Amino acid sequence: MVCFERSEAFKQRSGWMFDYYLRLALRRCRQNLPMVGLLVLTMAIGIASCMTALTIFQALSGAPLPGVSPYLHVATMDAREAVDKDNPDYKRPDSLLKLADAKALVDAHRAAQQVAVAQSLAQLGNPDGGKSLQAYGLMAYGPALQTFGVPLRYGRPWTEAEQSSNAPVMVIDTHVAQKLFGTDDAVGRSVTLGQRSFRVIGVIAPWAPRMQIFNLGQNAGGVTGQDENFFVPAQASLDAGVGPFTSGECGKDAPVISFQSATVAQCRWMETWVRLDTRAQADAYDRFLAGYANAQHDAGRFAYPPHATLYGTQAWMTLNHVVPDDVHLNLILAGGFLLLCLINVAGLLAARFLRRQGDVAIRRALGASRRDVFVQHLVETGLLGLVGGVLALPLTWLGLWIVRMQPVSYADAARFSPGVFAMLFALSVAVGLLVGILPAWRVCRQPPALQIKIA
Amino acid sequence: MRHIIKPLFRHRMMPMLVVLQVALACAIACNALFLLQQKLVPIVSPDGVGNPDRLIVAWNIAPRGQPWPTSRLDQVATELRGIPGVTSASVAGSWPMETVAQMNGNVLGEGEHAARADAAVYIGNRMVDTLGLKLVAGRDFSAGEEGVTYKGIGIDASGPAIITRALADRLFPGGDALGHVVRIGDQADSGRRTVVGVVEHLMRNQFGQDNRENIDYSMLFPGIPSNWPMPVFAVRARSAAEVDAVLKAVKAAIKRDLGPDMIQGIDPTYETYGRLRGRALAQSKAAVWLLSGVSLIVLLVTVAGIMGLTSYWVQQRTRQIGIRRALGARCGNILHDVQLENLLVVGAGILLGMALAYAVNLWLMHHYELTRLPWQYLPMGAALMLALGQLAVLSPALRAARVPPVVATRSV
Repeated sequence: MVCFERSEAFKQRSGWMFDYYLRLALRRCRQNLPMVGLLVLTMAIGIASCMTALTIFQALSGAPLPGVSPYLHVATMDAREAVDKDNPDYKRPDSLLKLADAKALVDAHRAAQQVAVAQSLAQLGNPDGGKSLQAYGLMAYGPALQTFGVPLRYGRPWTEAEQSSNAPVMVIDTHVAQKLFGTDDAVGRSVTLGQRSFRVIGVIAPWAPRMQIFNLGQNAGGVTGQDENFFVPAQASLDAGVGPFTSGECGKDAPVISFQSATVAQCRWMETWVRLDTRAQADAYDRFLAGYANAQHDAGRFAYPPHATLYGTQAWMTLNHVVPDDVHLNLILAGGFLLLCLINVAGLLAARFLRRQGDVAIRRALGASRRDVFVQHLVETGLLGLVGGVLALPLTWLGLWIVRMQPVSYADAARFSPGVFAMLFALSVAVGLLVGILPAWRVCRQPPALQIKIA
Repeated sequence: MRHIIKPLFRHRMMPMLVVLQVALACAIACNALFLLQQKLVPIVSPDGVGNPDRLIVAWNIAPRGQPWPTSRLDQVATELRGIPGVTSASVAGSWPMETVAQMNGNVLGEGEHAARADAAVYIGNRMVDTLGLKLVAGRDFSAGEEGVTYKGIGIDASGPAIITRALADRLFPGGDALGHVVRIGDQADSGRRTVVGVVEHLMRNQFGQDNRENIDYSMLFPGIPSNWPMPVFAVRARSAAEVDAVLKAVKAAIKRDLGPDMIQGIDPTYETYGRLRGRALAQSKAAVWLLSGVSLIVLLVTVAGIMGLTSYWVQQRTRQIGIRRALGARCGNILHDVQLENLLVVGAGILLGMALAYAVNLWLMHHYELTRLPWQYLPMGAALMLALGQLAVLSPALRAARVPPVVATRSV
């Protein structure tokens, strides 16, 4: 009980002292405005540049499909069936497989979930031909929606029976549904894709991975993920004359890459994604994959030793440099710059505090403890940090605006968000306290007698 | 000297903070300026293209399914040549500043220990005329050479080649490259290209992190690549006034001839080479602005920091300075002492900063595709920091020099 009272009294006293320190700090800040302005501005520029780089970095890091992609893996192997003189040593892992191989991997059902996909850019129309649009989508073999965790708004995904009978069914997103039919719930309607009419069995909300994850081998500098406006069973789509947007090499003497072709039986164009929840499952699948690939090589199908490897989504993105190095370099640069600003401000604060040793000496002589002096100075620097943070807010906004104006692939990621605001607030208070520790410690260290003498 | 060094050790905090600031600024500035230099390379290097605003480039002309037959591409090029106001027209596999389609390879000179270079290859017809390249030795391809039909893309095939002077100097340091053979890769059956001409400049179209050395390493092969899905058409207009009309005619001709078989959903791009170049370099330019801005602010912050700390340090010692003046030191002595002190402190910071700059560079090299910091940056950075340090200390030093001797008798 006694203890409680004491702590209550202590709280009251410290609350009162805090208020006093705050007023003291405000009074002292008014004394040398240009100097205070320089301090605050330096902190603000440091914080703002760091925040700008951090915002972009944060937007481009983390899981491309939150909650799903950490468990997703992509199968890679050297599945070339002809000798390739230009690239004999398979320098870069390749995820593209022939449909036959992709089907074999999916049908083996060795993972929790598995699907083979390829991106397509196709024209979708409504039955009377009145409305149409170009849309990106995924051609898939297997349960694509379930494997990637795509949320269905209406209807259902396609069944295995529909897939094996090559039934013309597809899933579209609400954007396509609105464009073609003027309504979100387009289940049961018909969409023209290629030469056939497909029945809409499901409608999803607009869906895109946060970053590029599909067909990274042919990715020319794209960072943020592509909206996938439709999902369609691969074979049904090929039957309708609609193929993948790009396909890898199609055998001997064929081009290294071709576009929008539906005659892809000889081409490598599908990526196999599997969901593996544990390390043990991943190891087991890796062995299965290597076994499959080696068997193909031994049978004489694959021209080279296949080097079959399973890559986690994140490792696969890192390997293919989805997030440009510039994003990391800029963050390092901004971090170094903030550190420089901190040292700079710490020095100027130390000079500012030590100039006023006389005031401190009098307070110490009147009974203030070292702790009191220390806290008083920290309150002052914390206040300066907070003002710096407030000033950094428009500067960060300006920095992000400038980045958005730039012709860089990650310009879309430079957006202000509440998370950024919270981070900025925390950073500015931390900066204020951090720069104050050395000067405040320095000023409270000297014994009062010496301080009076100096004064 | 002793009276300058000793106090620095007695009151460690102020000099320490200056040393730290200078070191950090040095490390940041050296690495940022090195990145800046790399980003500047494609912007300031000559690309060899004459009259960029009269050159019209059409690209993103990909076919659905099978690649365009070369005869069909040749036919379009012939048709483009017939447009009024066109002096030259090309069809090629790739084009300077057009980065979607690239052909690159490791090429070798002759002999046992042949020089190697990472060069860009442009395969196409009439490229010297259309690009407006300047031949400095040898000749352009003959009509017979241009009529070659490749089985594949053509990069592995043997035949004649025109190379840039920079590449010629690299592969054949002895001098004249004409008549010599460039091997396209080190396999036994690699293509062999006989140099028939040398052009002054031609920029590569694949940019990496560091192109200081190989920016001008390019080769031209005659003919049209077959089995290549991304051809580029380019025409040169006779005068600036005719550019708009020619561009319209080119657009119409390509759309009429190839349009029905093009990929759907992605339209071809038609623009002058000048604009293409502007867009291709925009990202580098943005990075240059960013890096120069950061470097400038880093240096400004450092100057302000040194100035603030030195004025406090001088003010603290006003009495000592007064005593020294009373004992016979002149204004000049005090001024020089403060300047020398700054030189020592900043010098220590620079030494630390050089080590730090190098360490940061090594770390970056390990984690990113960066190259080694050239040693020239270190003395240059040191000179810059020393000059800035002296600039920053000038005002406090002058104030110190103005302290009158009478101060020694005041206070206490």
